[in-house]
Amino acid sequence: MSPQKSHHSLDEVIQKRRILVTCGTGGVGKTTLSAAIAMRAAVLGKKAVVITVDPAKRLATSLGLKDLGDTPMDLTPLLKRAFADHPPEAFKKCVGTLAAIVPDSRTTFETFMKGLAPTTQIMERVLKNPIVDVFAREFSGANEYLALERLYHLDLLKEYDFIVLDTPPSRNTLAFLEAPQLLARLFEEKLVRWFVLPANKIAAAGMRKAMGILEKITGEGFMTHLFDFGGALFEIQENFLKNLKAINALLQSQDVGFLLVTVPTPETVPELNHFVDSVKEHGFHFDGIALNRTLSYLDTESATAADRGKASQGFEVLDALKAREQSAISELKNFSKKSAIGSQIFYTQLPELARDVHSVEDLFHVAMAFDHSLS
Amino acid sequence: MDALSSHRSSPSLPTLKEILNRPLLFVEGKGGVGKTVLAQSIAHALAAKNRSTLLVSIENPLLPAGELKKIASNLWHLNCDPTTAFEEYASLKIGVAALTRIFLQNKLMRYLGKAAPGVHEVVILGKIWHDRKDYDHVVVDMPSMGYGITMFQSTANFAKLFRGGPIHRDSEAMLKTFADPAQTGQLIVSLAEEMPLTESLELRDYLNGFFPDNAPGFLVNRRFPKPEILEDSDVGSNESSRDYEKGHTPLATSALDYLTQRFLLEDHNMRLWRNQKIPYGEIGYIPPAARSSGDVKSEPAIQKTISRVSALLAEKGYV
Repeated sequence: MSPQKSHHSLDEVIQKRRILVTCGTGGVGKTTLSAAIAMRAAVLGKKAVVITVDPAKRLATSLGLKDLGDTPMDLTPLLKRAFADHPPEAFKKCVGTLAAIVPDSRTTFETFMKGLAPTTQIMERVLKNPIVDVFAREFSGANEYLALERLYHLDLLKEYDFIVLDTPPSRNTLAFLEAPQLLARLFEEKLVRWFVLPANKIAAAGMRKAMGILEKITGEGFMTHLFDFGGALFEIQENFLKNLKAINALLQSQDVGFLLVTVPTPETVPELNHFVDSVKEHGFHFDGIALNRTLSYLDTESATAADRGKASQGFEVLDALKAREQSAISELKNFSKKSAIGSQIFYTQLPELARDVHSVEDLFHVAMAFDHSLS
Repeated sequence: MDALSSHRSSPSLPTLKEILNRPLLFVEGKGGVGKTVLAQSIAHALAAKNRSTLLVSIENPLLPAGELKKIASNLWHLNCDPTTAFEEYASLKIGVAALTRIFLQNKLMRYLGKAAPGVHEVVILGKIWHDRKDYDHVVVDMPSMGYGITMFQSTANFAKLFRGGPIHRDSEAMLKTFADPAQTGQLIVSLAEEMPLTESLELRDYLNGFFPDNAPGFLVNRRFPKPEILEDSDVGSNESSRDYEKGHTPLATSALDYLTQRFLLEDHNMRLWRNQKIPYGEIGYIPPAARSSGDVKSEPAIQKTISRVSALLAEKGYV
């Protein structure tokens, strides 16, 4: 169980950063793992909070709590009780605090608009536009961006000294990193200008023609909304870009680290490579990889023939899964030796559980099971 | 409970076989449940019955955008890409090549095609909808849940947002096809874990809202095999709660403990569907094939799994 000194541990990162952003695709157990990291930080003495952006309310189920919401919920008493009931070897006492937030995207969006729009009238106009409505709910980057907004404002309050941001589930790991840029492009000045110019002033023939075609395809009414939307964007553009710049500066600062959460498969290392490059490209700091749902702690080698006979097909599946995991881990070890960043990041793994996490107490067992040995 | 069970216990729920054999099949579910391998296996099984089949992936970054390729006898694979589909759609609607070029090269239009909310989703579905006429079967490997349902939502939004005009008409026609059980099937794939099973029910309700007369099919994937030490009487209990030993760690104490707990947990989790009288199919956990030594690509290993699942689907009478 002793951490290898060749690379960092999760606990060191918790001491080093103020904010940890966890990224990963759906189904890897990111939400539970993120909450477990925040809990570990609390045990280490931090005033920790986990923000999880998830419409499915997974975190509430995992903690056995009904009303997790936009207001931070204090989990410290439950954590202290779990600590007292199961005193861990590695820690003497639990002095920090733990809270959880599940932001409501509509509330965040309205707060966000209130902060941006120069007047109430403009804000109302923006919120009434049907394109904005669809946009806020479904634009593939909107959820991600709103998560950052929530993070930024929570950080400004300085009520917590360790924040874990569990990013929204996405198709690919990088979606979260791309979101702010995608939004920034929407506000690119030249494009917004096109929207606000009255139609008759659009001089370029090409543009006029393109607009005419667009109108024909989209039908009546849409163009009016589109120009209105463009006008609204123009009004909030300046404030938005200022905001975005501040958020980006925060994400690029030494206070913030990025963490990849994944499971051991042949795709683990390619995904990691891809992620490392992308994080670097954005000027962010990559801190490490958390391998979730690992099976290596289950001893199949010393199982007797009699044991195997009790679940023969099951052992067959387990053997194959463990073999796949071992090859993913040896690829990771290779990465840690050969890649430039390999020795500077942390590797941690969490075991696959025999049942679901249903309480703060369950989560406590998970938070104590982080293993840095890459075995 | 009452509201839920009355919700969908209509007497004539389609069998899995009926759903999987429809001309257009959307394979849905949350991330990590094995949709991709299942969609591939279903497509292979259909093609093996001498039906011309198109398997659709959506924006697979590892394959060339928009690429259409024959991958087996009677089986083609399309990597559907929104940019390519947007261009195809524009040229289809505008007709005149010169005008299309002006339209597509316009900076604002290019921007809208890329970033305007919903455009991606609608053009992808539109492309699939359009191409379905060329095959006996189209099997779509949908993106994971949250994004997958956005695709139908966007189409409905477009039908609402654009009044009159071709986009409106096309969106309406697409929704009509997707709502018709004779033309389209939805397969919801899940693992026997609590969250995916619950989210599958949410997905069902959501799809139901869009397509009330087109009930989806259900399949639970990667079920752990039943250990020999368990009796039949240990299985299939529908009690609403299973007592966990208070304070006991969720980690397993041994490999056998894991396999036993895992099976019982999965069986217990399935009550979420059983309680709602949902008929569902089951595919057991196919142990991942080892990679042949020195082989960089994992392709052959995945191919082995696909062949096994595809054979299993036929054996169980699902395809």
